[in-house]
Parts: sequence; structure tokens; C-alpha cells
Amino acid sequence: MTATTERETATAGAPAPAPAIEAVSVSRWYGNVVAVNDVSFALGPGITGLLGPNGAGKSTLLHMLAGFLAPSAGSVRMFGETIWKNEALYRRIGLVPEREAIYPFLTGYEFVLLSARLHKLPDPEAAAARAIRIVDMGSAQDRAAAGYSKGMKQRIKIAAAIVHDPEVLLLDEPFNGADPRQRLHMMDMLREMAAAGRTIVFSSHILEEVERLAENVLVVVSGRLAASGDFRQIRKLMTDRPHTFTIRSSDDRRLASALVSDTAVFGVELGSDRLTVRAADFAAFAHAVAKVARGAGVSLFEVLPTDESLESVFSYLVKR
Amino acid sequence: MNRAIVELTARQLLGQRRSLLLVVFALIPVGIALLYRFEGQQPNHVQWTANVLGARLIVGTLLPIAAVIFGTAALGSEFEDGTAVYLLSKPLSRSRVVLSKLLVAWLATGALVLASVLVAGAIAIRDIPDQGVLLGFAVAVAAGSLAYCSVFVLLSILTSRALITGLIYVFIWEGLMTALFSGTKVLSIRQYTIGVAKWLTTTSERTFAARLDGPEALALMVVMSILATWLAVRALARWEIGESG
Repeated sequence: MTATTERETATAGAPAPAPAIEAVSVSRWYGNVVAVNDVSFALGPGITGLLGPNGAGKSTLLHMLAGFLAPSAGSVRMFGETIWKNEALYRRIGLVPEREAIYPFLTGYEFVLLSARLHKLPDPEAAAARAIRIVDMGSAQDRAAAGYSKGMKQRIKIAAAIVHDPEVLLLDEPFNGADPRQRLHMMDMLREMAAAGRTIVFSSHILEEVERLAENVLVVVSGRLAASGDFRQIRKLMTDRPHTFTIRSSDDRRLASALVSDTAVFGVELGSDRLTVRAADFAAFAHAVAKVARGAGVSLFEVLPTDESLESVFSYLVKR
Repeated sequence: MNRAIVELTARQLLGQRRSLLLVVFALIPVGIALLYRFEGQQPNHVQWTANVLGARLIVGTLLPIAAVIFGTAALGSEFEDGTAVYLLSKPLSRSRVVLSKLLVAWLATGALVLASVLVAGAIAIRDIPDQGVLLGFAVAVAAGSLAYCSVFVLLSILTSRALITGLIYVFIWEGLMTALFSGTKVLSIRQYTIGVAKWLTTTSERTFAARLDGPEALALMVVMSILATWLAVRALARWEIGESG
């Protein structure tokens, strides 16, 4: 399934501006292994979460967006220009890679200053100071990066990526290693950037991170775009899927016959020591099961949802 | 050239432990020159300085080892530790990146080997006329450093095992093959360097001989350096990041 989210607005009569990021039928393979398969989308200002389980192809896709991988087929464009082998576009892009590596002999300030100098900014010192202030790393800026915690490295990497105030910011698993306070601070910072009209794309395999930050989402599973668009709609798709529960009770047979008549339930299987129930709606069943059991005079010992892992949610989306 | 990259690379190269080992390694020709001086058996100091100290110890061993270490580390260490992405995600032409890295590798290699040539050579040659041997080797190792470094910078972009590959090249190709087969001299930076050194001396063929004529050696060295640098720029423009999900 592919879908397109076009959030650019064209003024009447004028040609529509090129989307900040556009992927058209992009595929990438390594020998016989397909890492990204025929993915298309267009993104404008705001925060987009690139969501998928580990190994789904998120980093491959992000690296193609950043111009560090050539698509095997299709094209990736930024502001209407091909990103691959187009160094000039990096004036408008900031990239925060997943790897922790920072030059260990540089201080945090020197690292951000290096980025400002490589961008040939007119006042690199002021730009570095501003970026460090934004990520709240002023107190540690003069320490060697080798001694930074994982979360501090993430923040100083973000400072280096935003030192030139880019229009597009790409972040690969930016919240890895950040503590809850740092995570909240980084989220606030990204929201402010998005509110200022920046296009932000970040990858994550954690649903809650994407839920809290992204208004737009691209779900990647096994290299394919499983879903894309408004996060709330995709969340509803995820929640409304069939759910399977295992139940242990004082009388499984009596509970099974009571549950069959409930509208939230569409399948019941009686096992030797437990009951397997398939329900259409997670919340409706969670409310109904206790009431039904009480009505039937059965005591519930255990009610377990069996397929709530992110992988099972994703594979449901792919099968749809 | 980009000043920020030059400064960064200089700190990278000079801060690594390998560089300290190289300084110790560069002192070996000096130590051998001291032993030679105190032994005092050889009748022809110019001949010994050119053939043993210059061609064999410095051009044959110190120069390629220093070049392979500095040349492969200048850019290769950034691919290895994942920091290359910070340079390559900037609006900088790939030629600037390659030339800046190459400049630092060349200066580091050249300075180290040049110092070894001048100090060890001065000790060995004593106070007799050196027939241009010191100047010849000084210029030759400076040019040879550039040729070697350009090849090793290229190698560091092409393979993640640049250091090992470079050492194999130095010992198998430059050390063994060119010694066994004279036809390989046109593809040997070692022979180019000796050719240039011989060209700048006034020694006789009996005292110090080279397999390549001076102009031929210099021309091949220039072609090799330009070709390797051009290929390095092309390879860097096509460089792709490693994959991890």
C-alpha cells in the first residue's frame, strides 16, 4: 500500500512549490535483498515519524532521503532537486545520524563550531553558541565529547545539525539513549522548529515516541510503506484490528458460551486449560469481558492480549 | 582546500598513537646512521648514504609505511568510526574534502620522512661533499610522499581494509615484485622516488643507480598522483553509507 500526504498549499494562480521531500517509486536492493520496495510519498513542513520495527528499512529510506544512498530505482527529491550527488542541497538540510560517533578529541562546542565552519556561516561562533543553547548543552560544551553520555551526544549532534538553521531536519532514531527529561526537551525543540515551518522527519521503532511527536506518519514494514498519513487515522487502524486474548477462568466452557453471544466477540476456541477469544475491538472487549463473566457467574483468573507486539501490529497493517 | 577540514585532520592524525610509533620508526634510520658513523668501515660514505640509507631504509621502508598509515587514516578513520557523515553532509565539493585530507596526509608523511632524511643523511655523510644526495632525496621523498598518499587516500575510500591492503601493496608489490621483475618499475612509486633522487644528484652510475630516468620518473609520479586523486574524488562522490536496518 502506498499513499501520499501532500501538505503544501498552492497559492491561486501560482505554480505549486515543490514539496520539501519527495520520494517517487523508490526502491533499494542489495544483491537479492530488497531493503526498500517501491515507496512513494511527499512531505512538507511539520513533523513526520518514520515508524517501523528494527530492520524494516527505515534507515535505508532515511539515508536515501539524506543523499547517502542512491536509490536502485525511483527518485528522491528535495525542493524539486535530486539529492543524490547534490552537495549544494546540504545548505538546506540537517542530518542527525544514528551512530553515536563524534570526534572524541573535540569539545562539544568545537564539534558544533566545526559544523558551522563547514557550512561557511558568516558568524560561526555565534551560530554554534545559538545551536548549543537550543539543545541546552551550554554547561557541558567545553568538555571533550568522548566523555559525553549517549543522550548528551544525541543533543550535541542535533546542535551540529541545526547550526545552519536548515529547512529540513532528518533524524535517525534521535531519542535512543536520551533520558525522559532530555526526550521531552528534544520533543519540545522539534515541535518549535516544526511550528517555524521546518520539515522534520525522524525514524523510530517506538510507537509511543511517534504518537507523542508526529502529526504525520510513514509506517515501513519489510521495506514497504504499510501506511502513511495522519497519525490519528493510522492509530485507529492499529486499534480497530482484530485482537486475540487468552482467558483462564473458573469455568471456561460456561464463559465461552456466554461470550459467543457478545457483539464484541467473533470467535471463541475452547482449549484444555484456557479459552482463546477473538474480538473486533480491543477497548469494547476489555469492557465487556468482566461484565459477561459476572453475568455468567464465572470468576476470571487471567485475561491476556496475545498479539500486542509492534511487529504484530505492523504485520496486520501490511496484510490489509 | 578547506581550512576546517585541514585543521580537523591534523588533530586526528597527530593525536593517534600510531603517529607516535611512526616518530620512533623514523628514528631508526638515524640510529643506523649513527652506528655506521661509529663503525667507520665503509670506504664510500656517499654510496652508502644513497643506496643503503636513502634508497633502501628511507625510500624502501620508512616512506611507504608512514604514507600508508597517514594516507589511509586521513579519511579512512572517518569511515571506520562513522564521523565521515559529518563532513559529507555539508555543502562542500568532494574534491575539496579529498584535497584537504590529502594535503594533511602528505604534509605529515613528508615532514616525518624529510626530517629522517636530513638528520640521518647528515650524520652518515659527515663533512665530505654529498654530491647532491641529501637534496636529491629530500625533494624525492617530498614528491614520493604525495604519490603514495594519493594512492592510500584512494584506497581508504575503496575499501574498509585500507591499512592491510596498503601494507600488502607496500611489501608485496613495492618490496617484492619490483625487485624481481624490472618491467614493473613503471608502476612503482619506490622506483619513481629513487629516479627523481638520482636525477638531482651528481653521483656516478657506479655510486648510485636508478632504474628510471629522472624526467620519466617525475612524469610518472605526477600522472600517478593526479590519477589517484581524481579517482578518489570520483569514488567519494559515489560513496554510500553502510546499512543498519
